[in-house]
Amino acid sequence: MDLSNDLAAQLNAGAILPEGLVIVTLMAVLVIDLIVGRKASSWLPYVAIAGLFATVAALVLQWDNPNPLAFFDSFNSDDLSVIFRGIIALSTVITILMSIRYIEQSGTSLAEFMAIMLTATLGAMFLSGANDLVMIFVSLETLSISSYLMTGYTKRDPRSNEAALKYLLIGAASSAIFLYGVSLLYGLSGGETNLAQIAAQLAQGDSDQALGLAIALVFSIAGIAFKISAVPFHQWTPDVYEGSPTPVVAFLSVGSKAAGFALALRMLLTAFESVTVEWHFIFTALAILSMILGNVVALAQTSMKRMLAYSSIAQAGFVMLGMIAGTEAGYASMVFYLLIYLFMNLGAFTCVILFSLRTGTDQISDYAGLYQKDALLTLALSICLLSLGGIPPMAGFFGKIYLFWAGWQAGLYGLVLLGLVTSVISIYYYIRVVKMMVVKEPQEMSDAVQNYPPIRWNLTGMRPLQVGIVFSLITTSLAGILSNPLLTLANNSITQTDLFHVANAAAVETVAQVAEDADPVAQ
Amino acid sequence: MNLAEDVQLISFGLLGVLMIAAALGVVLLDQIVYSAFLLGGVFLCMSGLYVLLNADFVAAAQILVYVGAVNVLILFAIMLVNKQETFKPVGNRWLRQGATALVCVGLFALLSTMVLATPWVVDTTVVLTSTVVQIGKHFFSDYLLPFELASVLLLMAMVGAIILARRDFIPEKMATDTQDALTLPERPRELTGTVSDR
Amino acid sequence: MQLQLEFFLLLAAALFCIGIYGLVTSRNVVRVLMSVELLLNAVNLNLMSFSNFLDPEGIKGQVFSIFVITVAAAEAAVGLAIILAIYRNRDTVDMEQFNLLKW
Repeated sequence: MDLSNDLAAQLNAGAILPEGLVIVTLMAVLVIDLIVGRKASSWLPYVAIAGLFATVAALVLQWDNPNPLAFFDSFNSDDLSVIFRGIIALSTVITILMSIRYIEQSGTSLAEFMAIMLTATLGAMFLSGANDLVMIFVSLETLSISSYLMTGYTKRDPRSNEAALKYLLIGAASSAIFLYGVSLLYGLSGGETNLAQIAAQLAQGDSDQALGLAIALVFSIAGIAFKISAVPFHQWTPDVYEGSPTPVVAFLSVGSKAAGFALALRMLLTAFESVTVEWHFIFTALAILSMILGNVVALAQTSMKRMLAYSSIAQAGFVMLGMIAGTEAGYASMVFYLLIYLFMNLGAFTCVILFSLRTGTDQISDYAGLYQKDALLTLALSICLLSLGGIPPMAGFFGKIYLFWAGWQAGLYGLVLLGLVTSVISIYYYIRVVKMMVVKEPQEMSDAVQNYPPIRWNLTGMRPLQVGIVFSLITTSLAGILSNPLLTLANNSITQTDLFHVANAAAVETVAQVAEDADPVAQ
Repeated sequence: MNLAEDVQLISFGLLGVLMIAAALGVVLLDQIVYSAFLLGGVFLCMSGLYVLLNADFVAAAQILVYVGAVNVLILFAIMLVNKQETFKPVGNRWLRQGATALVCVGLFALLSTMVLATPWVVDTTVVLTSTVVQIGKHFFSDYLLPFELASVLLLMAMVGAIILARRDFIPEKMATDTQDALTLPERPRELTGTVSDR
Repeated sequence: MQLQLEFFLLLAAALFCIGIYGLVTSRNVVRVLMSVELLLNAVNLNLMSFSNFLDPEGIKGQVFSIFVITVAAAEAAVGLAIILAIYRNRDTVDMEQFNLLKW
């Protein structure tokens, strides 16, 4: 007993309590499904949701952990990771709510789906705190492999198969390229795998290492950009979004993307700190391309899921703006935007799921006249889409304003202007859907809406869907006006994380150095 | 001049040439079965190279896992999708292959410049402890967390692979309309009438 | 002449480029998967040579490549399961035929 206590204290095992709870939930879901069988599927989702709420509670307890490093520095449970893990766990809760009816209707087993979903969550949560190259790799692959499995889950559908295959091949290739970059990092640092030690080693390296470091940087960014689906590493996104079960898409667009951003922050700010100028440059290019291509191509889409795919590419571009700013406000605006994005994007996906479950289509033109048949769905979808577009009273507006303000403060005038212009473009395609839904004339109604089934919330799995819609509706409309708590949370998560202090101190040092170097020239 | 060094150098050259030849065979040969066996050859040469790098345990793991599991799995897959398929020729294929080859040669040139230009900090300490002991210590100290996470990953990969590959099990109530079972609720695009390329 | 680190790294780079070539040009899905295995082997060779020449005491690279081997095996199993599923539905393994999803 004494020994195990000692061991737990030595490892600081309490830091991974939230992940431990996810593993326990995962095992419970698998074992209960094995023993009880299909009868359990009516209450098993609530076990999973309860487990995830316990995880969130454990995360709240982790806040401001004075001793965040655990497992010999391979995991870092600082406030930044806590908030990202919270976003991921919440996105899984909402995803499970929306998947109950969907999976039921597609005739697949819900328990196995939830088990894979929880594994993906686990991988994403570990990725947000991973502090060691090996840990990063294993958690990244846990996330990826379970995502491939979920994508192909409706296995009798050729579209789902094809999406899974494309995702797997592109994902495996990008993780191999990422690994090549990581292996160079291991070599350049003279045999270190811990991010902080790599940074320390690289800081003393001579200038001959520049080419190797540049290649390591580009290869690693290829892997990260694949996860956050930034252009030009986005080719998989529309296909996978169109072909996978919609709840999976919802998870990929929020949970998986948040994990990608957490990885980007941690890796670029520590290991690649010595090449900050270079990675800022690369990310500027990625952000410009993502904002332009995502928003422009979204205009031409006829399928709702595909449109949301391009919209998520564009949103990733906006979030990158906060990263490029490189100030505390920039990082805080990123976290704030991701928090809001969680609710509005998942809300939009819940509505899309409800519509496709009732009518069996996700074509944008089929939404015409929906207002007369289903007011709640129209209202929720409109609010979420307007928020994604950044129309004033909604949460998304405040998120964007904060991002653009932080970018402006950091002197990224061109990028911010581009962001503003592309936001205006994005409003057009979001409004198009809203306008489609509220057309007045009954003869303009699409066939799908004319044959709209009577609204029955008492079918199995419909209640959770309703809860999901109402919840995201309320948060999306209120988070804008009452955004102070979220804003404080986002700001605190940045100011209380050592990662950024180190980065800032180094930046100040570099500036001072440059000033010193410049001085003699001036004289 | 030293006999041990010569033997090392010769075996490195031999293994390297064999490995590159086998790898080229994997990507260039028409018959997929030959490719699969050559892939086994690549894995074997690789484990020989690991022995040259003083990594006995990893060399054994390489043979057990790659040759024993992955390669056998790939051969099984080839047998399961056993269909003599002549792919319909696609226009401009040569152009695409040529362009890709060019890009790959360029990439190789870049990587080799990098390898040769970087001053690697070679550590010449001679270590006599067994690698197995060292690796075991790592697994249960600083790499404990990834080690445990890998177990969850393997469990879920196993469960998921079985779910995807097993014959369909359609629940009783769905048996009446098997058309819809295990597919997406959204209609395919052909039926919605917006895009019809077939 | 002794064995140098650079020899191994060049070999790994060559294998990596062959893997990329196979990944882009192959039409048979199974061959694409084999190319991914080639890529991962190239990375492993990189890690192992760094481990031997730069970090002979810690041999962290060896531990890393064991993880890579583990994950590669899992990835291959999942990949082949997906290939089986798609083969049952479409009756082909030709990459060019998989074009249901496009804009």
